[in-house]
Amino acid sequence: MPLSRSLARRLIVLSAGNVLLLLGITLCLKQGASMADILRRCGSDVAPTVLAGLGMTGLIFTGAIDLSIASIVVVAGTIFGILVQRGASPSTCYGACVCTAWVLSMLNGWLVRALRIPAIILTLAGLTFYRGMALVAADLGVPNFSGNISVADDAFHAPGKRWAGWILLVVIVAALLWERSARTSRSWLALGSSPEACRLMGLRPSKILQSAFCASGIFLGLAALVFVTRIQAIEPARLALGFELQVIGAVVLGGASIFGGEGCFGGTILGALFLYFTSQLLTYAGLNPYFQEAVVGALILAVIGLDCALQRQRKSLEELA
Amino acid sequence: MVAPLLKLEAVEKSFSGVRALKPLDLELAAGEVLGLVGENGAGKSTLIKLLSGVERPDAGVLLWQGQRVSFDSPRAALAAGIATIHQELSCFDTLSVAENLLLGEPWPRRPWGGVDWDRLCAEAKRQLAQVGLDVSPRSSFGELSAARKQEVAIARALSRRARLLVLDEPTASLSEPEVQRLFAHLARLRTAGVAILYVSHRLDEIMSLTDRVAVLRDGQLVGLYPTSEADLNRLVRDMVGRPLDQVYPHTRSGVLGAPLLELDGVSRKPMFRDISLRVHAGEIVGLAGLVGAGRSELARAIFGLYPITSGVLRLRGETWAGRSPEHALDAGLVYVPEERKRQGLVLDHSVGQSISIGFSDLLARWGLIPNQTENARIKQAMSSFGVRATGPEQSVGTLSGGNQQKALLARWLEREPEVVLLDEPTRGVDVAAKAEIHAWIDRLAAQGKAVLMISSDLPEVLGMSDRVLVMCQGAISTELRGAEMTQHNVILAASGLYQAEAHSA
Repeated sequence: MPLSRSLARRLIVLSAGNVLLLLGITLCLKQGASMADILRRCGSDVAPTVLAGLGMTGLIFTGAIDLSIASIVVVAGTIFGILVQRGASPSTCYGACVCTAWVLSMLNGWLVRALRIPAIILTLAGLTFYRGMALVAADLGVPNFSGNISVADDAFHAPGKRWAGWILLVVIVAALLWERSARTSRSWLALGSSPEACRLMGLRPSKILQSAFCASGIFLGLAALVFVTRIQAIEPARLALGFELQVIGAVVLGGASIFGGEGCFGGTILGALFLYFTSQLLTYAGLNPYFQEAVVGALILAVIGLDCALQRQRKSLEELA
Repeated sequence: MVAPLLKLEAVEKSFSGVRALKPLDLELAAGEVLGLVGENGAGKSTLIKLLSGVERPDAGVLLWQGQRVSFDSPRAALAAGIATIHQELSCFDTLSVAENLLLGEPWPRRPWGGVDWDRLCAEAKRQLAQVGLDVSPRSSFGELSAARKQEVAIARALSRRARLLVLDEPTASLSEPEVQRLFAHLARLRTAGVAILYVSHRLDEIMSLTDRVAVLRDGQLVGLYPTSEADLNRLVRDMVGRPLDQVYPHTRSGVLGAPLLELDGVSRKPMFRDISLRVHAGEIVGLAGLVGAGRSELARAIFGLYPITSGVLRLRGETWAGRSPEHALDAGLVYVPEERKRQGLVLDHSVGQSISIGFSDLLARWGLIPNQTENARIKQAMSSFGVRATGPEQSVGTLSGGNQQKALLARWLEREPEVVLLDEPTRGVDVAAKAEIHAWIDRLAAQGKAVLMISSDLPEVLGMSDRVLVMCQGAISTELRGAEMTQHNVILAASGLYQAEAHSA
């Protein structure tokens, strides 16, 4: 089905913004740094945000949200670290990391349905709870746990350091193809658009919601894998703090309605890239690091503001036509 | 004798202690059209919810094709062959028309498992064509007009190959030709053996469409008879429980004062063009036409919600240009919008708040509103407009449609405006409340105010107005007075055919 006009315009605005940011980065490049390096690194840098963002997009389609994703990443990372410490093989550790994230996502979905609590509230509790569970697990699972679990062996860093770009590419292509040809993503949108109408049409809202949490879990598992295999030490208390807001930011920037019912995967990808290029540009331009966050916030506002202004202009043009 | 398609035996339902439906028996045979009427709150919606699987009965038996059934979800009811068109649109604004039509059914797939959008759209197109609708299946549902949306929702229910079709106020946002198209289609379904339960406040529709009528009052079946034995008076008497004084009261003297609202060649293309009209003090002018003819847009432009591009507007003889709703209210002009739930009321607000927001600025002293004066005015407004609520604290969203509308009228009319623009003042309102609202409109004119009333309810617009202006494609095509004011003429004029016939006759 074709994209709505407002979404299509958002994609254009974001693409243009990304091109401008890349141009800006090129202009600011110092000697010794090349564009090729930046693009090569870009894949593994944005991979966690984009991967988790795709899962979050599906959830936001349905009108739900998962605020606990950062904590889920931490639990997955802790399990990964414990297994590494205990001498498990790399593939076992990777598998356990992905499965943990998926299981916790499914659990979130199941709890939302069983307890009939809105996802935003339930996962707000999960945000604290899961991180606490990660600390408990680390304390029990690692001898002499003192705040972080060291994963120094480079044999355990393949997904985050070498494969990240490829994982990202494969997942993006698969996700975009799937979105174009699947009925499930359309029923997520339908659920977000009107849960009551879904029920009256004979669909099963709770099944649709669970499928969104299931998909989100798969994406989040891959995101967690890439995330925790980039670092030398996993620190459950501080790992991935604020990751969920960065991901939600990318989704909203990508044109998805936070109330559900509207959006597309492509927007989230472009939104995550936009956030990444912005912070890169500010770094290369040598902006005072203390100013960076404020400038990033202002830029997000500018993009959404420009988009809304364009929309109003189109509307008034249509009325006059 | 053949077993009836549907049989209800002593079915009842309560909501938090309130009995919405007292033990009720009802039968429906295949190929029969049963009309269901009753005031708001009489239990019609409850009955529909039981049949469509939204709610389950507390007691009693539902026999479907002779089998005892219990629908635990709308899905189960649909699977059994009961399709329902609910009053509130149950569609998805952000999806396409095709998806809205077919979301409840399996979708055609390509060999590798992906959705075959071409075949999906072709199937949607076929279903739309069946009901004579020419809408692109790929267009976004949210961008359709209200009438088109309603028609797509109807097409969806009709395409479900149901044995029983339940329609709850399906014509609320349709204009006459669309209603006729729907009725033609229902007639075809009836011949094919589909049973139809038709719920409507529009008694003329009930009379022309149904085989039998069931009347509900206070959760009880108070009347069940063949439509041929029914007449409007009997229906109204059964619904209300007492004879209704007058549905279209006319107590005003008919003496007209000075023109209060005058339009000369007012245009805002493409919404409407070259509109000239006059509404005098003490006069009710009806504005009829098809949905989409530009009637509401005209009223909103007079009120100052859209600027006009050319022409002159005079209020009490003085040239006036609406800048904003505040400006219009100050000038003594009010507009009661057509969609009260979306444009008129904040449903979570209390009745008191909803009413006083219309006039509290007039009571304010140095920016503060004296509480006692406000409460007294609210009480007075509620009693004089007959708003039935537990008190000013009740949230307005929980009132029946008629009481919501009365609260909305009370809000604006307490300002004592001179010119009143009413947009579909009785849509979705039951008979008794309708009569009360009509009495108020009549009283307004008797007090020397000028009333411009938009209505798609033909008996209403003809019964209430002194003159009827008919809009067609953005222009006033015809003015009907006296004996010319007939349903036939309004329909002709609304489709732009009135003049043509006058010449050929």
